[in-house]
Amino acid sequence: MINIEEAKELPMSAELEMNHNKKRLNLSPYLYIGPHLILFSIFFLVPTFYGIYISFTNWDLIGDPEFVGFANYTEILFNKESTFYEQLRVGLGNTFKFVLFTVPACIIVPLLLAAGLNTKPKGLKFFQALFYMPTLFSVSAVMIVFSMLFSVSFGPINHYVNVDTNWLATQPYAWVALVTVTVWWTMGANMIIYQAALNGISKDLYEAASIDGANSIQKFFRITLPSIRAQILYTLVITTIAQFNVYGQPLMLTKGGPTSSTSVLLMYIQENAFGSGISIAGIGSAMAVVLGLCIMVVSAIQFFFLRQRD
Amino acid sequence: MALIWVFPLLYTFLSSFKSEADIQSSAFTILPINWVIGNYQDVLFENTSAPVAKWFINSLIISVSQTILVLVIVSLAGYGYSRMKFKGRDAIFFFLMATMMFPAVVNLIPLYKIIDTLGWVNNYLAAIVPGSAAVFNIFLVRQFMQGIPIDFDESARVDGASDFQIFTRLILPLLRPVLTVVALFTFTASWNDFLWPSIVFNDIEKMPITPGLQLLQGMYALDVAHALTGALIAIVPTFILYLCTQKYFMDSLSLSSGVKG
Repeated sequence: MINIEEAKELPMSAELEMNHNKKRLNLSPYLYIGPHLILFSIFFLVPTFYGIYISFTNWDLIGDPEFVGFANYTEILFNKESTFYEQLRVGLGNTFKFVLFTVPACIIVPLLLAAGLNTKPKGLKFFQALFYMPTLFSVSAVMIVFSMLFSVSFGPINHYVNVDTNWLATQPYAWVALVTVTVWWTMGANMIIYQAALNGISKDLYEAASIDGANSIQKFFRITLPSIRAQILYTLVITTIAQFNVYGQPLMLTKGGPTSSTSVLLMYIQENAFGSGISIAGIGSAMAVVLGLCIMVVSAIQFFFLRQRD
Repeated sequence: MALIWVFPLLYTFLSSFKSEADIQSSAFTILPINWVIGNYQDVLFENTSAPVAKWFINSLIISVSQTILVLVIVSLAGYGYSRMKFKGRDAIFFFLMATMMFPAVVNLIPLYKIIDTLGWVNNYLAAIVPGSAAVFNIFLVRQFMQGIPIDFDESARVDGASDFQIFTRLILPLLRPVLTVVALFTFTASWNDFLWPSIVFNDIEKMPITPGLQLLQGMYALDVAHALTGALIAIVPTFILYLCTQKYFMDSLSLSSGVKG
């Protein structure tokens, strides 16, 4: 709020400068970008670099971090006896599984829906609004709803399908539940992006293809997909990054179970750094850096792989 | 497909009017056997270890404050990066863009330490301020501002307007569409934020509703009607916001994916 005050004084100083000394260093641009730069430094830049440093230390969040070199990394990456090695293996493995299961679904389902809506059915606006709506709800509200939907004895799913599956506590049903809820909750944004892209494709292309005798499947793969490649690449990268940061769904829906089979890495990071025992922030930070590196590497691979096909 | 999408919402809405006894004692029905509104009373006010009404107000304060803060900061910075000329401007902006590639998970633990050092644990500021460091909104506003012809500024300058006058009188009103988008996104993201507030709030009285629901879930694990009522209350604000401003949400996505921008 102080920033407004600062900015108010600006016209005077700016005029003064203009009138008296044009060559003097003009400070006013920094009054515009300064507030953000200060916040950005304190709450993003410093913690990011500090986070990397912390991963090389022994730290309980309270005292001074003690530098230990690569000890945390050798512990989580190579010490097979260590519980943290096990946590990283299980957590990162499940995170990758989650990404692998959800990302294709979060691209294909909205693409099909967008293609369907592109035929301009009656009630287009209503359907669009409906499919997009879940993205506006919090992960915790959505997980409460789905934990009840999947409930063994009172849940409507078991009632209507007429089974008594314990969805959230047996595999592979727990994964099915996690993927279902994630698609329901997150795919709306991608759908809107595809809709806008499909709208922009010239009708002439399809007519020309029809004259040449192409069927609708050929048209989809030869015209539709190539035309919206930029949007698919964009959503692929964004969706993958988002799903790597999975936390709330397994935490609240399956509690990481059955027997850690859906425990993701962010759950272990949170537990190690902020859990009930003494904080092991150094190990937590090292795990966060490993996760961060995975995200960057996978994004880079996607980007270069899809770019080079031009 | 539409049926699958609407069912969870319909189910939640209808179940919030069911009595728990009916849910436990008979087979599943989509409509309540007896319509009751007591769940709302119970969830909002009666449970002292899950004070939903209080959480709701905390969330409102946090989300509204963050939205205002972000709007001020983002419009100032957007103007700075698109209209003012100074040494290193594009280099700084490029650097900011590049940092968007950094995975946010790495700064989680030190960020907590910074909040702790500032004495902001269990303080609204912990949930309001750090989010305003985000870069993406500045990118959006700068893009939009570059679509406003620079001639406007020049003619105002000839008439003797200062930078700040050009910014407040000329540019700000023209920014309304993009600032609306930023406001909607900031409010929703702030309302729905889960991991971060669950770390910086451990005082039940102070926390916002999104992390609060995790406690509520534990409390009402076997109580379908009350749990769903809590979830429903939590989604009401973004739901209403969406109904009122749907057009902007749709535009904003195209804007951010670069279809239009």
